[in-house]
Amino acid sequence: MEGQGKWLKFGFVGPALLILIGLNIFPLIYSILLSFTDAELIGGSFGFVGGRNYGRVFSAPRFAAALRTTGLFVLLAVGFELILGFGLALGLKERFRGKPLLLTLLLVPMMLPQAVMGLFWNLVLNGYYGVLNQILAFLGLGQPQWLTDPDLKFFSILMIDVWMWTPFMMLIGLAALNAIPTYIYEAAAIDRASRWIVFRRITLPMCGPLLGLAVLLRATDALKQFDLVMAVTGPNDPATQTLSALLYQVMFRDGSVGLGSAYAYVVLVLVIALASVFLRYMDRLQQKEGEVAG
Amino acid sequence: MRILIRVFVGVYFCIAALPLGWLMMTSFKTRSASIGVQAKFLPTASEKVDPQSVRFRPTLDGYRQLNQAYAGAKYSFFRYLGNSVLIGLLSTFASVVIGTCCAYGFSRFRIAGSRDWLFFILSTRFLPPLTVVMPVLMMYREFDLQNSHLGLIVLYTAFNLSLAVWLMKGFIDDIPQAYEEAALVDGYSRLQAFRLIILPKAAPGMAVTAVFCLISAWNEFGFAMTLNNQEAVTVPVYFAGLQGNVQGLPWPQIGAGVLLFVAPIVLFTVLVRGHLLRGVTFGTIKR
Repeated sequence: MEGQGKWLKFGFVGPALLILIGLNIFPLIYSILLSFTDAELIGGSFGFVGGRNYGRVFSAPRFAAALRTTGLFVLLAVGFELILGFGLALGLKERFRGKPLLLTLLLVPMMLPQAVMGLFWNLVLNGYYGVLNQILAFLGLGQPQWLTDPDLKFFSILMIDVWMWTPFMMLIGLAALNAIPTYIYEAAAIDRASRWIVFRRITLPMCGPLLGLAVLLRATDALKQFDLVMAVTGPNDPATQTLSALLYQVMFRDGSVGLGSAYAYVVLVLVIALASVFLRYMDRLQQKEGEVAG
Repeated sequence: MRILIRVFVGVYFCIAALPLGWLMMTSFKTRSASIGVQAKFLPTASEKVDPQSVRFRPTLDGYRQLNQAYAGAKYSFFRYLGNSVLIGLLSTFASVVIGTCCAYGFSRFRIAGSRDWLFFILSTRFLPPLTVVMPVLMMYREFDLQNSHLGLIVLYTAFNLSLAVWLMKGFIDDIPQAYEEAALVDGYSRLQAFRLIILPKAAPGMAVTAVFCLISAWNEFGFAMTLNNQEAVTVPVYFAGLQGNVQGLPWPQIGAGVLLFVAPIVLFTVLVRGHLLRGVTFGTIKR
């Protein structure tokens, strides 16, 4: 049984692992090689150029700018989504008629394709005939040029991202709130704790672990932001060029595969750093949950 | 305080619903009504509509004209919808089958370094598409997979495997081992036990997993855009391509197309609403 068991095990888990190694590890090795060459998108022969590409990455002002743009985007997007989403969760905690329907409707945006919804938001945000500006005019407010004003483009993309992903924070926030046993609140009521104290000392700390998971998951996602940037401004707008947009610009528009691969590797290191924080966090959370369940 | 938070929920809902409501209305307008300087939000049946008013006469032209090819695309919307369906369904099928087997292996056998392997699998989900796409593209050029459906199907299968393995592991862990042990005692082989005992019990989980894989393949944009430019273009890339249109975008047709494209997702979201939490956290949170 045991000798045969080895092959059986491999038969079950092997195909998945082989596919993942073939389409992830192999490309990663290939691209580290490319990053030391002057390869071009159009093909043709290319040669070894040593660490020159990496030198160019770190001295490029647009790389520093993309890093700042991406960092600011992650911070603001995740921050707004967390506050709005948790606020919604607090409001939707109790039971009321029509709650399942309302919840489902609220959750819809996060399931939709970002690239497609980003395109449609162009119609909503248009400075002349967009419905948002018409509503603002009706309310007697100004007419911001959401899609063309360099100071506002970034904010527009942020707004769409918040629209799409606030439901995600709401969903996890609700799960966290529902997991707090009611007897804790009852005990607090007997102690006549004020509402604020209950929120600060019970609700927030007990929701912390799950909200942390949500924040990390969203942050690793926001770090990759590409679809909305493409849909709203295109990849080469200095006001909105995220790291992924810059990668696309260098590799596919400028056609510099070697340089692009160097960029990709630098981005990868960042992503892996954040992802490993997330994975470790998740591992700990799972073990804790296991203890509770067991 | 309670009132305040209710008002907040209400206001948020209205704002969040606005773009989707507008999408729906746009799909029933004429092009000139869709970009009117006076927003049109009241459908009317009357023949004569003052162009300055808030009324518009609903029309199905947006849907009827979806079979035309617009500047920026070679074919009509439906051709690309076909691509999305084909690529989405086949890659989903492959990732659920391969992922279920893998999850069963990790759930039931003792595998050296299984924790590390599982985290390796999950970590592949975090790679930004643009960091791995260039070597994949060069590899695909060698094997003639560029611009092919198969190329995207293989890539999406790999991309969704992490999700499939983690979700299915959660579902299979929930099935008591006693069932298989009893079957093994009765003389079933491992494979028979897997096929006849586990698969039927895991079927609901597989359906949920399939929905999440399908949605993420359906929505994917980065790989789809960079790996092909004509024959296997999916709907998100098709829409993005229309953007260069100098005569302005055909908004009613876009509205109609977007609505048709996202309708299945909304339907699926309703179907799996009880499992959404699991789906978006890779099975970490099961409640």
